[in-house]
Amino acid sequence: MITGINEMRYCLFMILFFLHFFIYNSFCQTRFKDITAEAGINQVFKVYEGMFGGGACVIDFNKDGFEDLYITGGMNDDVLYKNNGNGTFTNVFEQSGMRGTKNYVTQGVAGADVNRDGFVDLFVTTITRRDKRLVIPRGINFLFLNNGDGTFRDATKEYGLDQLFSFSTGAGFGDFNADGWPDIYVGNYFNEYKGKLSVINDNTVVEANQIAKGYLLLNENGKKFRDVYSEYGLDYRGFGFGGVFTDFDNDGDQDLFVNHDFGYKRTPDMLLENRYPKKKFTDVSKETGMDLRINSMGTAVGDYNNDGLMDYYMTNIKFNYFMVNQGVGKPFVNKARELGMDFFAISWGANFADFDHDGDVDLFVANGDLNPNCVPMADFYFENLGNKFEDHARAVGLADYGIGRGSVVFDYDNDGDLDLLVVNQAPVLDYPVSSYTRLYRNDSTGGNWIKIALKGVQAESHGIGSKIEVEAGGKKMIREIDGGSSSHLSQNSVIAHFGLGKVPKINKITVYWTGGNKQTISNIPVNRLITITETPEKKSNRFFVYLLIGLCSAATCFILWKKVKMA
Amino acid sequence: MMQKKIWIKIFISCLIITWLNLSCRENKKLPDDFELATAWADMTNYITKTTPANSPTFASRCFGYIGLTMYESVVNGYPEYQSVAPQLNGLGSLPLPEKGTRYNWQLALNAGQAEILRSIYIQTSDKNKSKIDSLEQYFVSVFKIKIPDESIANRSILYGKKIARLIFEWSKTDGGHRAYLNNFDKKLFFADKPGCWKPPLYAQSFSHFPLHPHWGQNRTFLAVDSSIAAPEFIPFDTMPGSAYYNQFMQVYKKEKILTQEEKEAAIWWSDDPDVTFTPPGHSYYFATLAIRKTKPGLIKCAETYARLGMAVADAFRNCWKWKYQFFTERANTYVPQHIDQRWESFWPDPPFPAFPSGHAIQAAAAATVLTNLYGENFAFTDSAHVGRARDEIRNTDFKARHFNSFWQAAEETAMSRFYGGIHVPQDNARGLEKGKIIANNINQLHWEKISDNRYK
Repeated sequence: MITGINEMRYCLFMILFFLHFFIYNSFCQTRFKDITAEAGINQVFKVYEGMFGGGACVIDFNKDGFEDLYITGGMNDDVLYKNNGNGTFTNVFEQSGMRGTKNYVTQGVAGADVNRDGFVDLFVTTITRRDKRLVIPRGINFLFLNNGDGTFRDATKEYGLDQLFSFSTGAGFGDFNADGWPDIYVGNYFNEYKGKLSVINDNTVVEANQIAKGYLLLNENGKKFRDVYSEYGLDYRGFGFGGVFTDFDNDGDQDLFVNHDFGYKRTPDMLLENRYPKKKFTDVSKETGMDLRINSMGTAVGDYNNDGLMDYYMTNIKFNYFMVNQGVGKPFVNKARELGMDFFAISWGANFADFDHDGDVDLFVANGDLNPNCVPMADFYFENLGNKFEDHARAVGLADYGIGRGSVVFDYDNDGDLDLLVVNQAPVLDYPVSSYTRLYRNDSTGGNWIKIALKGVQAESHGIGSKIEVEAGGKKMIREIDGGSSSHLSQNSVIAHFGLGKVPKINKITVYWTGGNKQTISNIPVNRLITITETPEKKSNRFFVYLLIGLCSAATCFILWKKVKMA
Repeated sequence: MMQKKIWIKIFISCLIITWLNLSCRENKKLPDDFELATAWADMTNYITKTTPANSPTFASRCFGYIGLTMYESVVNGYPEYQSVAPQLNGLGSLPLPEKGTRYNWQLALNAGQAEILRSIYIQTSDKNKSKIDSLEQYFVSVFKIKIPDESIANRSILYGKKIARLIFEWSKTDGGHRAYLNNFDKKLFFADKPGCWKPPLYAQSFSHFPLHPHWGQNRTFLAVDSSIAAPEFIPFDTMPGSAYYNQFMQVYKKEKILTQEEKEAAIWWSDDPDVTFTPPGHSYYFATLAIRKTKPGLIKCAETYARLGMAVADAFRNCWKWKYQFFTERANTYVPQHIDQRWESFWPDPPFPAFPSGHAIQAAAAATVLTNLYGENFAFTDSAHVGRARDEIRNTDFKARHFNSFWQAAEETAMSRFYGGIHVPQDNARGLEKGKIIANNINQLHWEKISDNRYK
């Protein structure tokens, strides 16, 4: 009898123990807290006529060490959220000098130090005007130079961008000629409109809604942008959603992956290999298997299996594509299904980040219907389990049903883990849940980390497009500094973030600067933000090498000449 | 040595000059009537294909007016024929040629076709407009030589233009004038009921609004065509085994067992308005094939295009009326919801409701017209898309197709939409039925003065 009771007690204890363990475990998971309201974020993207738009750019515009946000509003005003450093933001858009965008329907945004004065400037794309209804919806794209005092000035005209009347979507910075001046690729959805608005006739109207060429804008010494699309051998048209600069083949220059909508009907996605130092991009979409014939909305760039090669997750309608890099010369393989990340949805933004500090990148995906049709669909949070991914969106508090578009990761509270902002659209029709832009604080409990900011001297001043490799705990992890047009119409923080698990020290950090400069530091302590400043390559060495070669050749010529003369 | 080279040069120059002379003379040979008519039909299809923002609806209407213009610009040169203008839905009588004067009907046709094309496709590119002009100029130059009196030529040209302008003026009031500017009504509110059309996810168009929702209110060429009864529709049902469910089950199953030949049919007939001359253009091309094979006189050429154009136009107009009356879903909506979430059709959805099939209705209308004019057993080879780059996504080539009758081609057109997974069987069957009725109405117009024997 007594034994019986004891046994029962034991059983009960075990049940409670396991139950406790189970509950504890489930609470232990990475939790995201929606802190939109308490952080003072009050934004929603308003569409012009269906579907298009909504991105954010992470930018520390006042260089106070707290990353700020620029978010496009479409038919609503854009916002510039200054990070107050105390967990809250203040919208300083009105006094920012960027009110010119109020006359336009904005779409995407990206930032880089265009004139190399140390302050990040902004590029904002638009599709049409807001203040008047145009027969042909076309806008211009804005370039705002950072004055360094918390304000910007409109430099669109000064930089030769005011006559590009386009229906532009995503814009991203990169430095494809590796001269340290950040260049831009702009995705256009409909044909550019050339000429004065007074000559619109039926022909111009119907021509305008055809597929468009992108802009490849070369930064000329920080003074001007020039469209070199055809000069670089490009002649493609498509329903462009932008393109992300990335080094897919680890050859040190920035290639370009272009997202195209309706790839199965018109131009598929394109992977353009940079043939630097030639002034040329070569279309390698076909042989690399990247000519995806999908409704390609955006791209997340990350190395999910820490093999040193960048992998690409493309958002789409219905099923997304996860193109895993198999190494140089081999085609990419879509592993979305195999890795458990192929749920039915309409996806836009996507971000790789090590949200849980376990040494591999997880993936957030922002979902939303083609507003005005409004079927709610939850966002995804794919946790990287090593050999597969699992959607834990509901468990971690990210299964929002808003009409998601662009999304960005950054560490807004400087606590070492990556937080998340998701731009949502206001529904055109009735919608059962609320849909507005949300900020999620990552309340990750454990795991070491490191954040690395780059300071380019020859390379772009925040290291855009450069790669960082961290060797720690037997792992090599890489990050590429995001220049924008990643996720959907957005740009993540330019500060690289690595989760390190229990690893107490980093053996080595290598920076592969755009332009070929390589730099290594070792024995770095964890849980801090470090800044690596580029050590410029010593040009003098090269000069002596050339001098030596020159002298040798001169000598040889002289000897030969003498011999000939003697004969 | 040098001398030899010079002689060779002189010899080659002579050859070139002779060849040029010959070819010029050959150019000035008068084209046959059927060559003139089909040259304009080719131009019409070229403009249809290369004008952006075109749609099967707008294109069908243009074929109607262009074909009618061809007929009306020459009919008075053929005493046994008569104008059909007074028999149409409000056009009334067109002016007769001046009595007691001579006309060149080829020049009238030429001028009329150029004029109507330029007017009705005002939105086409300058490059295309100059193509129309040069074809017109070319025929003027070859026919003028053979006409002793310049006033005959000028009178004929003026007459052809006048007919074209009057028909174009009439076209402005049908509801489809400049419809390319409003392909999608972004203010349209459509009901959300079970089985209703949903904007496609696997789509042909970026629009999430359906194409030309008000097209069904347009004027028909024949008054009688607007009063044809609506087709029967199998009611919505989600029960497995129900008639409605089975319609979609058939599409679903077919997609899994498509043969290469069926895939070829599916892409062949897609006639996407962004890259081709649209489905009614395909039918207009069939008229050209029939004419090139039989080489009839000018009036029969013109009658063929007029009948065919108006038949496909009224077919599309009625089809669109019913499409928006029933407002039914496609397999890409029903199948993922009720049968298999991962399913996707072989061909992407067009941006409008399903029932009845526009392909089927216009193909049946065209086949009924052409069979009436050229007989039931008319073998021909359709090479419309030969030479197009293969469809890489679907691993399918564009291969010429052979048919023994126009009706056989129409049936394949309809079936091809079933293979493509964008139409269920009832969309096609009802489309074919109604297309036949519409075309019979066109056939029964009084084309010849002592006409009635021909149609009995």
